[in-house]
Amino acid sequence: MAAAGLGPAARALSRYLSRYRARYARGIACLLTATASSLAIPWAVQRAIEALEADTARAAIGRYVGLVLLLAATNGIARLGSRFSIMGGAQRIEHDLRNDLYAALQRFPPAEIARRTTGDLMTRATSDASAVRSLVGFGAVSFIGTIAAFVGALTAMVSVDPWLTLWAMAPYPILIVVAKRANARIHAQTDAAQHQLGVLSSTVQEHLAGMSVVRAYTMEEHAARVFDAANGEYLVRSLRLARTMAAFVPLTGAITGVGALIVLWLGGREVIAGRLSLGALVAFNGYLAYLAWPTLALGWTLALLRRGLTSMARVQEIIDGAPPREATADGETAPRSATAPRIGFENLTFAYDDRGPALRDVTFEIRPGETVAVVGPTGSGKSTLGALLARLWEPPPGTVFLDGRDVRTLPLRALRGTIGYVPQEAFLFSRSVSDNVSLEREALDAARVRDAAVASGVAEEIEGFPRGWQTVVGERGLTLSGGQRQRVALARALAGDPSLIVLDDVFASVDAAKEDEILRQLRPRLAGRTVLLMTHRLHAAQAADRIVVLVDGRVVQQGTHDELLRADGAYAQLWRIQQLEAEIAGA
Amino acid sequence: MRDVEHDEILGRAFDRRLVGRLARIARPHHRLIAAAGVLFPLIAAFELVQPFLVKIAIDDHILRADWAGLTGVAALFLAALAVLAILRAVESYLMNLTGQRVMHDLRAAIFRHLLRLDAAFYDRYAVGRLMTRVLNDVEAVNEAFTSGLFAVIGDIVTLVAVVGAMLWLDWRLALVTFSLVPVLAAVAAWFRVRARDAYREVRRRLARLNAFLQESIQGMTVIQLFAREAHEHRAFRRLNADYRRMLFRSTIWEASLYASVEALGSAALAVLLWYGARQIAAEALTFGTLVAFIQYTTRFFLPIRDLGAKYTVMQAAMASAERIFELLDVVPAVQAPPATSRPAPTNAAAVEFSSVWFAYEDERWVLRDCRFAVQRGEHVAIVGATGEGKTTCARLLNRFYDVARGRVLLEGMDVREWDLAALRRHVGVIFQDTVLFTGSVESNLQLGLDGRVTRPDLDRAIDAAHCRRLVETLPRGLGEELLERGANLSHGQRQLLAIARALVYNPAVLVLDEATSSVDPESEALIRRALARLVEGRTTITIAHRLSTVQSADRILVLHRGRVHEEGRHADLLRAGGLYARLWEISARTQQG
Repeated sequence: MAAAGLGPAARALSRYLSRYRARYARGIACLLTATASSLAIPWAVQRAIEALEADTARAAIGRYVGLVLLLAATNGIARLGSRFSIMGGAQRIEHDLRNDLYAALQRFPPAEIARRTTGDLMTRATSDASAVRSLVGFGAVSFIGTIAAFVGALTAMVSVDPWLTLWAMAPYPILIVVAKRANARIHAQTDAAQHQLGVLSSTVQEHLAGMSVVRAYTMEEHAARVFDAANGEYLVRSLRLARTMAAFVPLTGAITGVGALIVLWLGGREVIAGRLSLGALVAFNGYLAYLAWPTLALGWTLALLRRGLTSMARVQEIIDGAPPREATADGETAPRSATAPRIGFENLTFAYDDRGPALRDVTFEIRPGETVAVVGPTGSGKSTLGALLARLWEPPPGTVFLDGRDVRTLPLRALRGTIGYVPQEAFLFSRSVSDNVSLEREALDAARVRDAAVASGVAEEIEGFPRGWQTVVGERGLTLSGGQRQRVALARALAGDPSLIVLDDVFASVDAAKEDEILRQLRPRLAGRTVLLMTHRLHAAQAADRIVVLVDGRVVQQGTHDELLRADGAYAQLWRIQQLEAEIAGA
Repeated sequence: MRDVEHDEILGRAFDRRLVGRLARIARPHHRLIAAAGVLFPLIAAFELVQPFLVKIAIDDHILRADWAGLTGVAALFLAALAVLAILRAVESYLMNLTGQRVMHDLRAAIFRHLLRLDAAFYDRYAVGRLMTRVLNDVEAVNEAFTSGLFAVIGDIVTLVAVVGAMLWLDWRLALVTFSLVPVLAAVAAWFRVRARDAYREVRRRLARLNAFLQESIQGMTVIQLFAREAHEHRAFRRLNADYRRMLFRSTIWEASLYASVEALGSAALAVLLWYGARQIAAEALTFGTLVAFIQYTTRFFLPIRDLGAKYTVMQAAMASAERIFELLDVVPAVQAPPATSRPAPTNAAAVEFSSVWFAYEDERWVLRDCRFAVQRGEHVAIVGATGEGKTTCARLLNRFYDVARGRVLLEGMDVREWDLAALRRHVGVIFQDTVLFTGSVESNLQLGLDGRVTRPDLDRAIDAAHCRRLVETLPRGLGEELLERGANLSHGQRQLLAIARALVYNPAVLVLDEATSSVDPESEALIRRALARLVEGRTTITIAHRLSTVQSADRILVLHRGRVHEEGRHADLLRAGGLYARLWEISARTQQG
């Protein structure tokens, strides 16, 4: 990833960091204190040994022992303080980032969420968010710590003996050169291994997905051979990487060791010559040892920073990519249409991003309190009508109207508060049935929830469950049948007492008899409301005040059931087919 | 969601049963492991040589002003560094080699096992989850070997060596240093338990947070339609804050552990200094030994501190190992019989369904007492409404699933008595959805037969399937590399290749599950002619989703409610005015509309 590409991510991250600047300032101060006090320990030891050298018998060792203990305590407390401040800050940033991400997701149109896939969005909210946490937490601690350690240790070393410092540092340029070359190699070999892992992964994926052909054409051996080749190549590449790492990591250790060796050898000569105290030599060794870990961790720290910024960019892509929230959509009480509204579609042509038009020049009206059924074969664009009305997709300007107002000009909350929408796929949350119907809307008490469930014809079944309304449904609870789920979703829509009801092929998963029964129970509840009923079953549409026939996104016929049958067009054709299907099913 | 939770929560770090199975998998590499075992003490020894050399340098040379001798020690030091680097390199490589080989074997074992599992298994398990087993879980098990097991052994060896070295150098000073060990052990254990409990709680809350998030993403339409954004966001914020709080708590314990271990290390240093100074004053201790002890103390405290972190790695690895073994323990429901027999030549029908009952789940019967027979060389079409079990018949014939009751006979012998591979060589299937694999066109035509198909056979199949022009338009002909699922070919081209593939396979009995999605008229005509060649003189069962193509069949079976409801020739069935006549009318009207 080029550094330039991560610029925006770094800027976005700095906005979050600046929220917690006091914390980070505290953390850095603690970190510097900790570094200073831990570097002072070798110094205290030096003074102790020097005192011992000078006068073995009467050296005031107790003072130095006390000093070491004090420094150790200071170091411990300051280090704790730095961890708490910086790690705590990082955890807050992760928390904020996740909240912002969640808020952004709520603003995406559903189709956009589907396009991005649940897995991808989950990855961004989980592993990417925690990679950012590592960057501003561990990454920050170890980055600042490394710098502080180098500055502190070098200063201390220079103050003991500048020449010896120079000698001790002599291996470091070599280390940098070696590290650079090794890093380039490790990087290339990691890429190669990762690429092969991708190949291996798609080989597995492909064969598992195509398992029926694998079985039917007895190609198990062949598949195993293909897999073995990919698996073997991955092994080869991983081992190539392992060889480089095996050579490089001990080499860095050895090079740092050479520094200690030089100090012992040349420093020892200084001590012999009386130019340096033994205590100073020991201290010097202590400082040098202090640098070993930050040096080894430097590459790892840098990788953490890079990975964190890449992840930040991925999270930011979602947060920035979300459509802006309407100010009005958030208000708890938005005016909504209390009386049955009039709906109008005018010359509506609509295409999803990359496909041909789903709707072409659709014009029709639903008068207040009227029930209009939109029928047509699968893929004729029925669902799109409902999605545009509820603005799950944004319709073109001047095409969809509610009480004469372009829906685009209505506050989202008011619009959606007006509509009781039952989508094709009934989605239930892993919560109680009661919560699934009420969605914890403030105005809905148990009586209204039950009332809606009765009207949807599901109350009896719910009350038959051992835990009744408190039955938890979904993956971690009771699995409801498709028909039960559909009716809970229907109850959910009815419970809000909406003046406009949109039913999107809701009875697809119940049989015709059950459908009849539900519709019969439902009819009194629908009275006085405007209803848009989308269905591919003409039987359900029969009783509507008017029927609109959609074929390939175009309105081909409109009228009552009897009128359309007489007209002997597409509707009559569909009707006949469905009659035949009913006959077959009943045979 | 259940999966998320299951995958997040950790269990025990050490499970004897799991470790035993892992050991069995690692057994082929026992030489590598033994070599690593020899290296550990060697490395520990060489690591400890350095402080000892420092001691010698100080006591015997620096304090005696012996520059030449110091140079000698420095040379030894250099040699020790070099040997240590080499040993470490070998150790690191051996560890990786073992880990990577074990992973390689484990992946291969899982994949081979997956190849043996039956269709019902794949109905239950999403491909994504299986991928996680083959890739991520295997990787986690590798961690158990390299970061877990090997590292723990290495640490313990180092610890023992340090203790030994210190005792050998000066047992009194060593005991003074060790005086802090009980404190260290107590403090580490106290914090570790808390850190671990907090961490477990962190995972649980993270799982809850993720489950909520996943559900929100999947149910976003409902949230938006009912304007529950603010409400759901509040719930999310609560879970998120909960998680953060617990994470911080685990940080407190973790950081306290590190800080206290470090502080204790420094305290040990202070004790050393205090006691050492008195000993030096009494001339019972040398400066060099004191300095060496200072260096040993650091090496002594680090492994004790890090043991806990490895515990977590081991836990994760054990959880992964458990999931892998769970998968490996699934017994394929469809297996070849122990003793395979070939059918004796009989006059029996090529295919016979004898009172077959079948359900995908429980007692929801798809086929109920389904009976029919297909004579050798006959072309039979199976029709019926959606969900009447047409495709199921094909799946039972080549044993993707086994019948619940009754028998499916092929050449007079129950399919369950056939050798599985022989059965599937005998029955060829063309699927509704054409599956092609990454690789050349040629390898896609040969599939399970690669190497055994001669070039003339291949050419004949390509010509018969009208694929010649298609192959010639490809820049690299038969060698053209196809993308995943044949994405670089059109739908019609893929179907033609599937027909050619079936011709190459040349099965005695062909099952043709008609493609439901239509192609352009030109391809359609080509496909129809290619199919005619394929069916010619071959026992064929066509599963017809569109009735327009069944008229040429010798006989048509109408499946209804899990059994054969009507059968006969097209014209007869039409005249009879039963279900077939109605299906036919629907088909005709649908095509008009």
